[in-house]
Amino acid sequence: MTFLFEDDLVEGAVFLCASGKRPGIPLLQIRRFHAERERCYAIPDPDDRAAAFARVQLVWFQEWRLEGALRATVSRFPALKSGLAALAFRQARGRNDEGAELYRNPDGAQQGIVALNPNRFASDSDLTRFLHHELAHLADMVDENFGYSPVLDGTAQTASQQRLVRDRYRLLWNVSVDGRLTRRGLGTVADETRRRGEFNRGFAFLEDARRQAVFDNLWGGHTAGHEDLLAIASDPRGLHEQYAPVPGAPCPICGFAAFQWVEVTTLQSAARKRIHADFPNWHGEGSLCARCAEIYESTSNLRYPATACL
Amino acid sequence: MSSVYNWQLGREMEYPYEAAYPDRQFAFVFNLNRCIGCQSCTMACKSTWTFNKGQEAMWWNNVETKPYGGYPHHWDVKLLNLLDQANPGGQTWNGTPQALKGPYGQFQGKTIFEVAEKNISPEGAQRALGYLPADAEWASPNRFEDNPSASEKGHKGQMAFSGGELVPQHKTWFFYLARLCNHCSYPACLAACPRNAIYKRPEDGIVLLDQERCRGYRKCMEACPYKKTHYRGTTRVTEKCIGCFPRVEGRDPQGGGLPMQTRCMAACVGHIRLHGLVQMNQDGTWKEDRQHPLYYLVHVAKVALPLYPQFGTEPNGYYIPPRWVPRPYLKQMFGPGAEAAVEKYAHPDRELLAVLQLFGKDARMCFRYEIKPGPKVFETVIRGKPFEIYDDTIVGYARDGTKIIETKVEEPLHVRDRRYANSI
Repeated sequence: MTFLFEDDLVEGAVFLCASGKRPGIPLLQIRRFHAERERCYAIPDPDDRAAAFARVQLVWFQEWRLEGALRATVSRFPALKSGLAALAFRQARGRNDEGAELYRNPDGAQQGIVALNPNRFASDSDLTRFLHHELAHLADMVDENFGYSPVLDGTAQTASQQRLVRDRYRLLWNVSVDGRLTRRGLGTVADETRRRGEFNRGFAFLEDARRQAVFDNLWGGHTAGHEDLLAIASDPRGLHEQYAPVPGAPCPICGFAAFQWVEVTTLQSAARKRIHADFPNWHGEGSLCARCAEIYESTSNLRYPATACL
Repeated sequence: MSSVYNWQLGREMEYPYEAAYPDRQFAFVFNLNRCIGCQSCTMACKSTWTFNKGQEAMWWNNVETKPYGGYPHHWDVKLLNLLDQANPGGQTWNGTPQALKGPYGQFQGKTIFEVAEKNISPEGAQRALGYLPADAEWASPNRFEDNPSASEKGHKGQMAFSGGELVPQHKTWFFYLARLCNHCSYPACLAACPRNAIYKRPEDGIVLLDQERCRGYRKCMEACPYKKTHYRGTTRVTEKCIGCFPRVEGRDPQGGGLPMQTRCMAACVGHIRLHGLVQMNQDGTWKEDRQHPLYYLVHVAKVALPLYPQFGTEPNGYYIPPRWVPRPYLKQMFGPGAEAAVEKYAHPDRELLAVLQLFGKDARMCFRYEIKPGPKVFETVIRGKPFEIYDDTIVGYARDGTKIIETKVEEPLHVRDRRYANSI
């Protein structure tokens, strides 16, 4: 695996050291650093000058063991070494830009990119906690046993449902990653109390015992595959296969999550006939959502198919 | 540290260098009551000086919407908080106003230079209290534009920051604050530069940054309380407003050899800006120059006030405060003279009404004005006070005495010859 370091990140990190914000940097070295940079200003060609600055800064990035800190942290995730062709570190453009991403070339080669705020180099513990969390995500992505897929939308039908599934998946994955890191004795960005609080807020609709069990499974590393996480995120109450008149279960006709149900027995027989005509496999019992019921009631005497109104 | 006299604070204060004053000082007055936030000034500056690679996020002149906007984000609130932490509850004004030496009374608190000695950073004591904004804080210079209220992303319903002015429901307000380098008399950027790359020109007080000496330490960015020095990643040196010095020197061919106002001043479509060079005494106060429009606005009418004088840099940008803004906010931003300035502006006398006509009338600098009395054309009572308008004529002169402005208080009425009626 090749390591790549973006110039901006390197410059930001060494300047942080030169400003004295990282402990343990001798003043004499800071003076030497400035003296070496000074020579670069004399280079007239802008491209040559930029390259010279990059070279000087990379040397000090190594001298001040910043590169070493990144490499040491990465070495704790052996899956990355075998799974990635390259791992690049770049400067994050803002707070929300920080994180790790996986890119796959058409030829199948995988590359990881970690976006990092240079200020994290001020504290090694802060840096490693953040990197552990992000690299563990990356390691999951390249791990065949985890079975990661970037496609999360297949299980949801509307944009809001897709967003909900994505947010729940993110939360579940964070719990799983931080649980596994904690058991390995590696520091991470959030402890069990914080993750449990987030989980309780995100899955408040579950019964207490069930919620506790799901969280403990995740934190304990028993549920740690992509499909497992996605299954919980997309259908936490196991309603997808259950056409029962409970809030959030799918309507047997349209398939959308329904929160208002109508008993089939209350429909006119003409409406029931039209539903049978449109959905021959419908078993004609139980309930359907209020929207389907309204459509079939109002179109039961029309000649064109009711589905045209859906 | 040396002891220097800051007339805006009405007292001596500590500064890292000995006092030295130019013969004339670059200064300007902005009438915030007139600014419509059109950003013409911003673009005039941008298209003249900062349109190259590496200068994308660099705006020497910007217009931000207060109270929530800021470039960089919350620059003023952050520094006010730092000062408050350094001197809790002590940032107060007191004393009797004194002409020229202390027109706003005396500042009892501590300036950014005075608290800096206690603010020990990893490199030792700072020269001036400050902070270095993160890259992301320089993005979105129009953040919170036209917003009377705001919340940070992800914190719905919360105020953008705790230090903002909270106002009763249905009494929201905002105003546009146009800003550029104040070419301070005691520049914090100059004080902080470890390479002595920043200097103040003796002829006009413009603060310049020698790019040959600068090595991109960014100490000036940390120290400037107004955050008006900018690092350029492509050259790895810092840049700042140069006060359009070729125009100020009279080298712009348009001015015919006469000093001209900067590009941002001349481009202002709202005529909110008046720019000039004021005479300085050797004790750092302004030399009495009764017929200079800036002297009149700052020291006689006292409608134009410095921006955050409590920072202690003696900025040379002055603002006529917007009259609809709560007074505590204005006092925090412009010092204790804010209330009287708004009152004066809301009931302008005959001379002030005439001098206000000079704003934006000519791109050349006005060094002296004369008022030729005209007839009374209007009288009324505004909020219990009598108010009269005289159709006086005000004449402005350039440095060499050339008449550059002649205008009347009343908008002139021109009656076109009947021959041309309805013709285009």
